[in-house]
Amino acid sequence: MRINVRFAGAGGQGVILASVLLAEGYGLGENYNISQTQSYGPEARGGACKAEVVISDDDIDYMKVDTADVFIALNQVGYDKYKDTVKKNAIVLINSTLVETDSPDVYRINATEIAEDMGKPFVVNMVMLGALTKLLPKLHYGTIVEEIKNKFAASIAGINLDAFSKGYTVMETELKEEKAGMEEKKPA
Amino acid sequence: MEKRTSEAAKNQAVLQGNEACARGALYAGCRFFAGYPITPSTEIIEMMSSEMQKCGGAFIQMEDEIGSACAIIGARWGGKKAMTATSGPGYTLMQEAIGFAAVTETPIVIVNVQRGGPSTGQPTLSSQQDIYQARYGSHGDYEIIVLSPSSVQEMYDFTVRAFELAEQFRTPVILLADEVIGHMREKVVLKDGSKNIRSVKQKYVVSPQADFFQGENTLVEGQLHDSMGRRIGHMASKSGEFINNINKKISDHIDVIADIKTYFMDDADVAIVAYGSVVRPAINAVKLARKVEDDRIKPKLRIFKDIVKKGVQKTINTDYSHLKVGLVKINTVWPFPEELLKEATKDVHTVIVPEMNVGKYCREVERVLKDKTVIPMSKCGGDIHTPQEILDEILKEVGVDE
Repeated sequence: MRINVRFAGAGGQGVILASVLLAEGYGLGENYNISQTQSYGPEARGGACKAEVVISDDDIDYMKVDTADVFIALNQVGYDKYKDTVKKNAIVLINSTLVETDSPDVYRINATEIAEDMGKPFVVNMVMLGALTKLLPKLHYGTIVEEIKNKFAASIAGINLDAFSKGYTVMETELKEEKAGMEEKKPA
Repeated sequence: MEKRTSEAAKNQAVLQGNEACARGALYAGCRFFAGYPITPSTEIIEMMSSEMQKCGGAFIQMEDEIGSACAIIGARWGGKKAMTATSGPGYTLMQEAIGFAAVTETPIVIVNVQRGGPSTGQPTLSSQQDIYQARYGSHGDYEIIVLSPSSVQEMYDFTVRAFELAEQFRTPVILLADEVIGHMREKVVLKDGSKNIRSVKQKYVVSPQADFFQGENTLVEGQLHDSMGRRIGHMASKSGEFINNINKKISDHIDVIADIKTYFMDDADVAIVAYGSVVRPAINAVKLARKVEDDRIKPKLRIFKDIVKKGVQKTINTDYSHLKVGLVKINTVWPFPEELLKEATKDVHTVIVPEMNVGKYCREVERVLKDKTVIPMSKCGGDIHTPQEILDEILKEVGVDE
């Protein structure tokens, strides 16, 4: 099993941190081999930012992602830049507050809106990570919760956990509704 | 979650290459760090600033890289193992101090996490452009030891090794990493406690033979000097001997220092020679090449030549259904591991050298492997080679390029 994950967004959105937590979740929590890389410009905020995680039960030779199995876009620029370098049945998750697309094959979560409603716009990455955790195989909710607790000082761990849990439950509800919708159609 | 509490997983961590380097230095007994932050090496300095005091050592953020390199030389004279870390422009500033450490035979470790150059170049992107500067950066004739890690675990292990080699040969040792390895996160196994690396009297050290200022009088001299530290620059024959001695102490011990690793080389016709982060896509390309199935490969596999060269028995036992490509990974880029490379590539006809610069190290490979076709595969601009690019080059060279 090899999963290529790519995150794209703007510097300051927490793109890299989200990828690191994902890598630690799979690497330490679930005991896979992982490799996390990133590329960003010299600006502190606002420049294009990309982070990649390779998850494998085998040794990882090439540590970068060519075509992604999982693609997470936090802004429009990132989505447009990498939307064509994903595999056919890839899981694509977008921050629907900032990314517009007609594509029917994407999972959407209004992450920036959720984060702003919480009064902490900077937890947008945690909302995305929560939604992603729901979508990914072999990654457990508890594992990422542990990693968030390890990563943050107690004073800000709470708000990050809340955002993570919110993203997870929103995606959970959305998937249930989608399933129910599909079942409604079936009898016909 | 049970796996996490098991004994083997206890010392596992997910770390960035730079963080692993800092942890490796602390494990190796480094108790003085002076540095000036520069992307992409800053995480080393950050971790040293937070962890060094906990280990009872000292950390200083210096005014610049010249000061940093000089400070660690002084710290080593004072008896502390010392390190600094930098990238391109900072490494250029350190060259004078590297020569001073070489001539005074001061063991120090300097980490260069390479970024794109020249000058301030590409702060956040990778390169291997400093491969010659690491060897020849300071003026005058001196030998130096340079290690090139390809994974986060090697960032940790090679940092420890760098301290061992520095003390053993009383020389500056360069850990030549690059942005990809420095910023990449992987799982590493860390060791507990601290390693006790001793500096012992070595007969091949010119001066001072005893450790600096550790109970014996020491005269440290940047001009050429005798075993007491007294200047000999005005005496041609003695000076010549000194230069030869500080070079020979490393070149005569290549067998102890040199380290390479081979992958799939047993039956290989084509070898990739790589170092640093480029090793990673190269291994992947080798595995891909071995899976290529193409009718046009058959005539390229040199079956008849093999019968002559390796004998009938070995030829019968060789699988000719795929491309036979192998990889030689160079761990100690300087001193150049000539003999090991010759031995590892003795049966191949073509050698491909991918590197993230205009094609430098391939010249050394060419010099040593005169009877083989050596193909440079240079890539500039900040991106590492992809496995597909290396595979395409392999296919082109064996004549299956459509």
